[in-house]
Amino acid sequence: MGDDATHDAPGWIGRSLLRKEDARHLAGVAMFVADVRLPGMQDIAFVRSQVAHGRLLSVTKPADAAADVYTIEDLPGLSVLEAGPELEAFRQSPYPALASGKVRYVGQAIAACVAATRARAEDLAERVAVGCDELPAVVDAVSAMTSGSARLFEHWPNNAYIARTISAGDPSAMTGAPVRLRRRFRMNRQATVSLEARGCVAVWDPRQEELLVYLSTQGGHVMRLGLSRALGLPENQIRVIVPDVGGGFGGKNRLLPEEIAVCAIALKRRHPVRWIEDRREHLLASVHCRDHHYDLVISAEEDGTIIGVEGDVHIDAGAYALWPTGSFMEASMAAGNLPGPYRMRGLNVNTWTVATNKAPMGPYRGVARPGACFAIERLVDELALHLGIEPYDLRKRNLVTRGEMPYTTIAGLKLDTGDYHDALDTAVRMIDIPAIRALQRARKPGAPRIGVGLAVYTEQSGHGVVEWSKRKSRIVPGYEAANVRMLPDGSVNIHVGVQNHGQGHETTLAQIAADELSMHPDQIRIRYGDTATTPFGFGTFASRSIVFGGGAVGTTARKLALKIKAIGAHILQADPATVELRDGHVVTAQGSVSFRDIAMAANVRQEMLPVGVEPTLEATGTYEPQESAGVFSYGAHAVVVSVDEDTGVVKILDYAVAEDCGTMVNPMIVDGQVQGGIAQGIGTGLFEEIPFNSDGQPLATTFADYIMPGATDVPSVRIAHFVTPALVTEYGVKGVGEGGAIAPPAALANAVGDAFADIKASFNETPLTPRRVWQAARDAMLSAGPVA
Amino acid sequence: MTLVSMNVNGKTFAREIEDRTGLADFLREDCNLTATHLGCEHGVCGACSVMIDGLLARACLKFAVQCAGRDVQTLEGFETDATMGALRRAFHEEHALQCGFCTSGMLISARDLLLRQPQPTESDIRDALAGNICRCTGYSGIVRAVQLAAVRLTEIGG
Amino acid sequence: MKAAPFHYARAASLHAALDALAAGPEALVISGGQSLAPLLNLRMTLCDTIVDIGGLTELQACWQTDHATLIGAGVTHAMIEDGLTPDPAHGMLRRAAGKIAYRAVRCQGTIGGSLAMADPAADWPCILLALGATAILRSALGERRVALDDLLVGVYETSLRPGEIIQALEIPNLPPQARAASAKISRKTGAFANSMVAVVLNGESSRAVLGAAGPRATILPHVSAALASGSPLDQITGLVTRDVADILPEPDPYLQSLHETNVRRALLEVFAP
Repeated sequence: MGDDATHDAPGWIGRSLLRKEDARHLAGVAMFVADVRLPGMQDIAFVRSQVAHGRLLSVTKPADAAADVYTIEDLPGLSVLEAGPELEAFRQSPYPALASGKVRYVGQAIAACVAATRARAEDLAERVAVGCDELPAVVDAVSAMTSGSARLFEHWPNNAYIARTISAGDPSAMTGAPVRLRRRFRMNRQATVSLEARGCVAVWDPRQEELLVYLSTQGGHVMRLGLSRALGLPENQIRVIVPDVGGGFGGKNRLLPEEIAVCAIALKRRHPVRWIEDRREHLLASVHCRDHHYDLVISAEEDGTIIGVEGDVHIDAGAYALWPTGSFMEASMAAGNLPGPYRMRGLNVNTWTVATNKAPMGPYRGVARPGACFAIERLVDELALHLGIEPYDLRKRNLVTRGEMPYTTIAGLKLDTGDYHDALDTAVRMIDIPAIRALQRARKPGAPRIGVGLAVYTEQSGHGVVEWSKRKSRIVPGYEAANVRMLPDGSVNIHVGVQNHGQGHETTLAQIAADELSMHPDQIRIRYGDTATTPFGFGTFASRSIVFGGGAVGTTARKLALKIKAIGAHILQADPATVELRDGHVVTAQGSVSFRDIAMAANVRQEMLPVGVEPTLEATGTYEPQESAGVFSYGAHAVVVSVDEDTGVVKILDYAVAEDCGTMVNPMIVDGQVQGGIAQGIGTGLFEEIPFNSDGQPLATTFADYIMPGATDVPSVRIAHFVTPALVTEYGVKGVGEGGAIAPPAALANAVGDAFADIKASFNETPLTPRRVWQAARDAMLSAGPVA
Repeated sequence: MTLVSMNVNGKTFAREIEDRTGLADFLREDCNLTATHLGCEHGVCGACSVMIDGLLARACLKFAVQCAGRDVQTLEGFETDATMGALRRAFHEEHALQCGFCTSGMLISARDLLLRQPQPTESDIRDALAGNICRCTGYSGIVRAVQLAAVRLTEIGG
Repeated sequence: MKAAPFHYARAASLHAALDALAAGPEALVISGGQSLAPLLNLRMTLCDTIVDIGGLTELQACWQTDHATLIGAGVTHAMIEDGLTPDPAHGMLRRAAGKIAYRAVRCQGTIGGSLAMADPAADWPCILLALGATAILRSALGERRVALDDLLVGVYETSLRPGEIIQALEIPNLPPQARAASAKISRKTGAFANSMVAVVLNGESSRAVLGAAGPRATILPHVSAALASGSPLDQITGLVTRDVADILPEPDPYLQSLHETNVRRALLEVFAP
């Protein structure tokens, strides 16, 4: 399926080069944080809150091991980081490294226990007694806003981190619209569940006089900044090394209190300390996500032209804002993406980002867009059902056309390039709706119902200063950096600020550099994940790496190429304007000189250099796209399901996607991202949920109850690619990491709805568990009355 | 504490350990073989898959003492194994890994399948790997890789 | 999630295991450990001593007479799945074995362990109850024979006495004309059943059993009586609703539908030509 590196065609961008990073994983010699071994290392286990909300009265340590148990009082000098957007209106939810004063969610870390092994640390943790005065738990984001509700932060007037209304266009156009449909949607809380949970190893290095931290994270430099502030240690005395990371998906793009506590403890002890998050901790206290409530009205003309959307959105953001950006983004992105890829005249959405006694919410592949896509794509199908129009036709009527690009949506997103109609038409053709309709007509009673569902999405990617500033982000990931160094033997190391954790950067960034330097990717190594050796960068998240990291590598390599040419020309005694780079050589019509010889000259034989050219072959640069509002990948998903109406079980029969992420550096890797994103989207749509009871106790704390799709649940998706290059990025690339996860919940709910279109059943809550599907169908059958 | 001795990848490891030490922890900490990963510690995710006396097993669901005297094989022990070699090559060619964390368990489970069913259907493969969670790939590359390895091994064998 | 400390003892023989249990009946018995290990890792189950009977050859002995098949409690699900044990029920055991959890768990987990655990959703209790199996129990005091219906008590509860283990399962052989089927509905491949059904159509010994609904696998009384008296299928399916409703601890329209559907599927299979 992929290329290996013996192709003759020119250029590496666009080739499905097999991944350079595979070897160590296939051999079993990768190094994840739990594989780090330091002499004298001890393990940490946390004592965690058993109650969702309470006043922390006392922590009693066992007398024989008091020195090995740490509470917040034992870690003085720690600063609590301000988190969330830099908005006066965004209320601060101080989140200490270990609980202080109150505990606000089941699983919140109260004390840290150190012992020779994790097992013994857990034994010690069991002997720590916690005295806690239980308070009523706030477990519903909507009722949390009622005046009688218990409050998480007493100094807040209510439980909202922030309330914001997004109002755009002409909302009055919606009043009195000929067609108005009100629907409620719910995307339930889940967790990110990377297969490798979090982890941190920390030790004070007396030789370098720095704190060495191995951290499973999506961005080491930013985490170092946070650790520096929290610990009160200068950044030049902290080194963060990111080993192999077993998935992040957004969940490892926040600095969490346990990580700060581990580092603080390392500074107090003379030996390395390690915390490897176990699965129960991960489900309890790592980043939770999704959890959106929508109460919306869609207004339209009789012919299906959408006028606008209005209503209320509640985001259940959990008990604390996570550093740095908190979760205000969920609300603003949810509202901002409600228009989707459609033309609309009015938008008026009230949003509340609500604090509840649940683990803090953080980003997860797609962030708020799966929720927003679910809401708008379900509204579109409901509108279609109501008007008796095919969902496909309704979309065609309202989708922004290629001719209208660039099109600024009513929410202010500038859709740059693409053909949404083409994508939808292609997905529809691939799934063959007429064939599905025929199957539906031929269905015998008692046989499973068949349904086909569509969803179209846009994926803002590669956004920089303009967009992050708009979000009032306290850390603005507006650029990336690269350091390109050619060593004396002509081999190349490129140090980058992005953080590969499965995306294949060792391969794709080498492909880009190989094109710029006219070398073979085998001779180029991409290095990352060490604050000591890489230039400052923000890491990998928000589908940014190929735009920013690729751009930084490309433009910096191009700079170096100029110097290589200059030196080569000098050695060949040729006019620099007449030389070119080819296969690791500088060539002219008369001859050539190898990069190896040029690099020798530049590093250890500087007398061979032209006048005015400094020794060494190294270039460092930063890069941001020409415009930073973001470039939009997009796609259309089409899925066919069969539903057993007696059991509510949904099976996916076929899944087709037509997507466009601009120039594809490595199509094989793009396919992997789309397929992988869809698997997680299927998880959100059908399987994954952490329910809470009224006491705030989470009801899915192990994989016995938290269900994820396996190999029998995820079909091989048929993927068609379009390539409409971006206009403002290097090579015309756009991000693609999240797109796959955005549309599946909507497409699946639409498909199940289509399967029950005859009784107009609506499926408006994810995951579509068998019980929910059965109940929604049952409710529709009862309200439809007796069948003629 | 008990002195436990077992054969891991053809080499004897004898260590004084607590009885409660899990096999996965014994392999990772006491034998320093870290290819076997822990993803859940309650037998659902499959990341810790190993072979014990030639039978597929989850290292998180065994205590090291239970395996005293037994033959344990981890990914590191299959360097020259033909079936594993075919799977490794196929995984690489079919982009069957992204972050790599599930890969060792996936390879061990896939190898076990091919030894029992040299020509599995796609459905057989998905069924056999249903107990190995992957969060990155969406499984399609893994399934293609196992199919490809099966074809190649059959050609060699036939 | 590391287990709390315990003392481990591997029994050298069945006799030694029974003596150890007689001396310390509060010890936990571990066979394959596939159910016990997660509970220990999660510290949901605590114990001072574990006696390991896994791998005892006395517990893996199987044989078959004209009337019955004996399957050792230490036989793994994979041995049954792979056809390495005698077959009393026209292949039903083999087919069911292959649907338990995942291959890795099947290679280690044992049929005796599954019964002793008595998870309400487990496969073997339901199937063996439908087949009218008898559990042969052993302790230092001797042997007891207990019908499956009397062995299963409730959620994780059996009538095993302290110091007693399951040695073997004795399953009456189905005659050639008898039919047997099991059906399982779960959220995904390998997960515990949300509904587990086993039906045996064998004259007076006919039984329909529903698991994953009540606290233990339970005989569907009216459905079973109708099967035993030779009623036609359409009459039998009409009795399913009431039997299922009586087993559910409280009315739940969804679960009612789920279990009824599963029972009817198994009935259809058993009556299929």
